[in-house]
Amino acid sequence: MTADQVKEALVRAVPGLEVELRPRKVGVRAPVEVPELWATIGRDGLLPAVSALKGAGPLHISIISGRDLGETIELLYHFAVGYGTPGGEVMVTLRVPVPASDPTVPSICSLLPGAETTEREKIEFLGVQFSGIPRTDHVFLPDDFPGHPWRKGDPETAKLVKRTVEWEKRDG
Amino acid sequence: MADGQKVYEIPIGPIHPALKEPIRFTFQVEGERIRGVEVRPGFAHRGIEFMGLKRNLIQVLYLSERICGICSISHPIAITLAVERAAGIEVPPRAQYLRVIFSELERIHSHLLWAGVAAHELGFDTLLHLTWKVREEVLDVLEELSGNRIDYSIPIYGGVRRDIAPAQVPKVEAMVRHYRGLLEELLDAFLRDPSVAARTRGVGVLTPEEAEALCAVGPTARASGLSKDVRQDRPYLVYGELGVRAITPRDWGLEPRGDVYDKAVVRLLEIGQSLDLIEKCLDEMPEGEITSFPKIPALLAHLKKAEGEGLGWHEAPRGEVIHYIRLEAGVEEPVAWKVKAPTYSNLMSWVPMFRDQEVADIPIIAASIDPCMCCMDRVHVVRDGSGATLLMEELLKLSRAKTERVLRGLSPAGGGA
Repeated sequence: MTADQVKEALVRAVPGLEVELRPRKVGVRAPVEVPELWATIGRDGLLPAVSALKGAGPLHISIISGRDLGETIELLYHFAVGYGTPGGEVMVTLRVPVPASDPTVPSICSLLPGAETTEREKIEFLGVQFSGIPRTDHVFLPDDFPGHPWRKGDPETAKLVKRTVEWEKRDG
Repeated sequence: MADGQKVYEIPIGPIHPALKEPIRFTFQVEGERIRGVEVRPGFAHRGIEFMGLKRNLIQVLYLSERICGICSISHPIAITLAVERAAGIEVPPRAQYLRVIFSELERIHSHLLWAGVAAHELGFDTLLHLTWKVREEVLDVLEELSGNRIDYSIPIYGGVRRDIAPAQVPKVEAMVRHYRGLLEELLDAFLRDPSVAARTRGVGVLTPEEAEALCAVGPTARASGLSKDVRQDRPYLVYGELGVRAITPRDWGLEPRGDVYDKAVVRLLEIGQSLDLIEKCLDEMPEGEITSFPKIPALLAHLKKAEGEGLGWHEAPRGEVIHYIRLEAGVEEPVAWKVKAPTYSNLMSWVPMFRDQEVADIPIIAASIDPCMCCMDRVHVVRDGSGATLLMEELLKLSRAKTERVLRGLSPAGGGA
């Protein structure tokens, strides 16, 4: 499936969605354009969009990345559509802003079970909640770690950093 | 016995003999059969992404190299591609070929390392010693080309740090010839050996449906018959032009079954594929610049002005690695950096692979996805024939003392101070 077809499928699922095509020139002797699609989407549109991507070809989630912007937490879902198509995989990034006061997003695990690890990682690091996720326990941080290290000015992370710096000073 | 129906819970790890990195498995077993497993990683979490947000991009590049010793080309390739995309930096053609050569050398040594680990887990230590002995050849070449056996510091934003000198090319070619001759022997020892087949056939199966739903990557997915390779599907560097094809057990004339045997087939055949790619690159590589920013201060100044975001991906020996980075003008540090290593994607594949398997097969199934080894926090040093275990602090003191001796023009080995 071409990037244009993936774009059409996304717009059909979420009417009015603006999808940006960011092609990348790749190669030396006979350069080709590798397409990348980027779109900002509300959390209500996430499940219909992922469902459309799944319909567009074998779907793979590379990772969910994200950052704390203060009043908003931004999640970026990086998908590969057409998983396993020689030269024809399309990278799609869906940017989902959620308010920091209510950081809840629908889980996509029912559509793509492989997303569970990365969703759980966002729970511990960004303090985002995923409604409908099968499991919510920590993946990387200790079970009892109370903070969220990617939140700006997280007091628990600041304490941890302070302890580590003091420990390193002792060594010096 | 009535108790035969009872399910017991067996915790294994975080430190355990199955593989050389800390992870905790909690198995539910019924007699000798595994009925379920809980996997808990995180024991080697060092907060590298968090550290990256406090450092400038050049420092982040070196930090990315230290995520994993074995993948110390894969992470730098992914982060340089992401930053180059975000900051609009072009990479000279020769540098693109050089990056491919180094990453294929890394794949050869990584797959040989895995083959040795797999042989060891099967109780076939003769084969472990053979594979790790022959692995030295590619490590020697990497040391010759980069100065290091691991942590090569080769990719830098805009190109690579070192060229392959004309005098070094014959050494790389000799290595390729050496492995070509050896590969048949290795294939024979692993794939035509009845005891290896008996221990790996039908063990740790991952069906193609499971591999797809759980987003498995790399040889773990290819062994299940998914023709999926980032180098083939999502071209980057010069891989699109080199004509890389995903290797599945079909290339060995077998229908994929997704078991441990098939994972060995894929990895061993990929060694041959990497040899072909290295040879092709040496042949096709044009002359020219190796970086578009020969001066680091100019590079740093450019990066500080850059504004944007980018993704960089690479097929590491274990599968897809991807980095996301976001840069803001006027800020030296990235404002967002996310790293995804292949084992992260393959973590969930362990659950179906362990189901209904025997307890005795835990080590080989755990090792079959080739989980990425982490740095150890202490080392075992043998000096004057006597062994002693040193903690990190002590090692640091010794290393500083050595640097001081070198600075004063004395022998690095000490004794004359």
